[in-house]
Amino acid sequence: MVPEYLTITEAAALIEKKEMSPVELVESRLGRVTKYDDRLHSFIRLTADQARAAAKAAESEIAAGRYRGPLHGIPIGLKDIYETGGIPTTGHSKVMQDHVPKADAFSVARLRDAGAIPLGKLATHEFAFGGPSFDLPWPPARNPWDTSRFTGGSSSGTGASVAAGLVLGGTGSDTGGSIRGPAAYCGLAGIKPTYGLISRAGILPLAFSLDHAGPMAWTTEDCAIMLQAMAGHDPADPASAKRAIPDYRAALTGDVKGLRIGLIRHFYSTDHEANAATRDAIDSAAKTYEGLGCSVREITLSPLAEWAACGVTIMLSEAFAIHQENLRKRFTDYGEIFRDRMALAGLITAGDYVQAVRRRRELVDELDNAMTNLDLVMTAAAPSEAPKIEEVGKFATMEKPSLTIPFNVTGSPAMSVCCGFTENNLPLSFQIVGKRFDDATVLRAAHAFEQATPYRGKRPSL
Amino acid sequence: MTRAELDAAMARLGLAVPEGERDEIAAAAKYIADMTALLRKPRPVGAEPAHTPAFPEG
Repeated sequence: MVPEYLTITEAAALIEKKEMSPVELVESRLGRVTKYDDRLHSFIRLTADQARAAAKAAESEIAAGRYRGPLHGIPIGLKDIYETGGIPTTGHSKVMQDHVPKADAFSVARLRDAGAIPLGKLATHEFAFGGPSFDLPWPPARNPWDTSRFTGGSSSGTGASVAAGLVLGGTGSDTGGSIRGPAAYCGLAGIKPTYGLISRAGILPLAFSLDHAGPMAWTTEDCAIMLQAMAGHDPADPASAKRAIPDYRAALTGDVKGLRIGLIRHFYSTDHEANAATRDAIDSAAKTYEGLGCSVREITLSPLAEWAACGVTIMLSEAFAIHQENLRKRFTDYGEIFRDRMALAGLITAGDYVQAVRRRRELVDELDNAMTNLDLVMTAAAPSEAPKIEEVGKFATMEKPSLTIPFNVTGSPAMSVCCGFTENNLPLSFQIVGKRFDDATVLRAAHAFEQATPYRGKRPSL
Repeated sequence: MTRAELDAAMARLGLAVPEGERDEIAAAAKYIADMTALLRKPRPVGAEPAHTPAFPEG
């Protein structure tokens, strides 16, 4: 009997010891999809036959002594902007409903090479931006902690499916917070790695200079395992970094003594005021780090609205450029939220875009300078627990400044970490951010926090 | 942004925005105006686009 909930780390240990077969594990997850996903809507396409075939192949390989590592035989899900050879990749949109790529995205191929078994394609906000929408070919995903609640977006299906234990990990993408938001609202670990660490080749773009691919899973250790497989140079991505990839899992020593952390409190206390439960949970997380031997001191950066103005202007401008021709030809084939946000994007001038790019240089320097004597910074990942899904407005991304987009602007590794629950059992999170290409320290700090707190022991009741 | 201004902008962009969505977009245009106003400030010579692709450093 396969347990209801398993982490990648736990499942890998059982598979390696041949105490559990990939076939059993995949069947158990497919069973959960059948049982629960009619309420969660996290999958928009299940590839059960391919998954079963891959599980049998993995079982044979492992039996023959060819164990590939901790992703071998592990069921995962792929956000439906990650291209999959021979399997439709739609961006959750009517506009690309019939798009069948010839090949896998670079990162998908890397995950398959490591032995991971995709169960299917997961819901996303339309083209990783427009949602939650009720006028698309598939419904929006629902939060497993309370199905009347928003999952966060845009990696909505990944957040829901991982939290519900339908898959053990999944892929997300993050242009302004689309990994960290769903990770926060669904109670996961989710890392937006350094810009350039994971290839964007084969992933439908939202905004070229802000798009980051990354893993989402139940624990930081699981994210480290997935990141290890996904990271690496790809000449097909012009932003792909050519540098050695460290052993991320080995970095999870549990020892964070001496790490220097800057707390950006004004982002969530005044600039975009978080609710009391979130503020208290972050205060408590800061104390936990102090208890682990870190130093935590408050720092002040430019107001959050300035970071958001820079990031959102770039995001909207680049997204409009990508979709301009289709918007002109088939505007109403897009969902209302996406198309109306794009109509607003069309109002941004070329001059404004250039000013945003200039401002970006200043903000990158500002964070680098602020972190000269710091290893990490932390702040809120979301202003509250997950709101009711119908309360999320069409222009929500512009009404208040995003807490996550500053680190898309800077390309920094940034991670959501669960730091508690509300009285009605909804997850709360904070965000921990490192220097570019020091993803290992972000993971180390997040892992140490998880080890020191009880929050990874609580799962949604389905 | 007035409705007439929005209609003119959408015509220039070539976007066939349904009638029922136009007033809401016109009202939301203030978000774009506020956001871009924050960016329209004098900047030092170092803050220019050629410096932005400085990362990834690898």
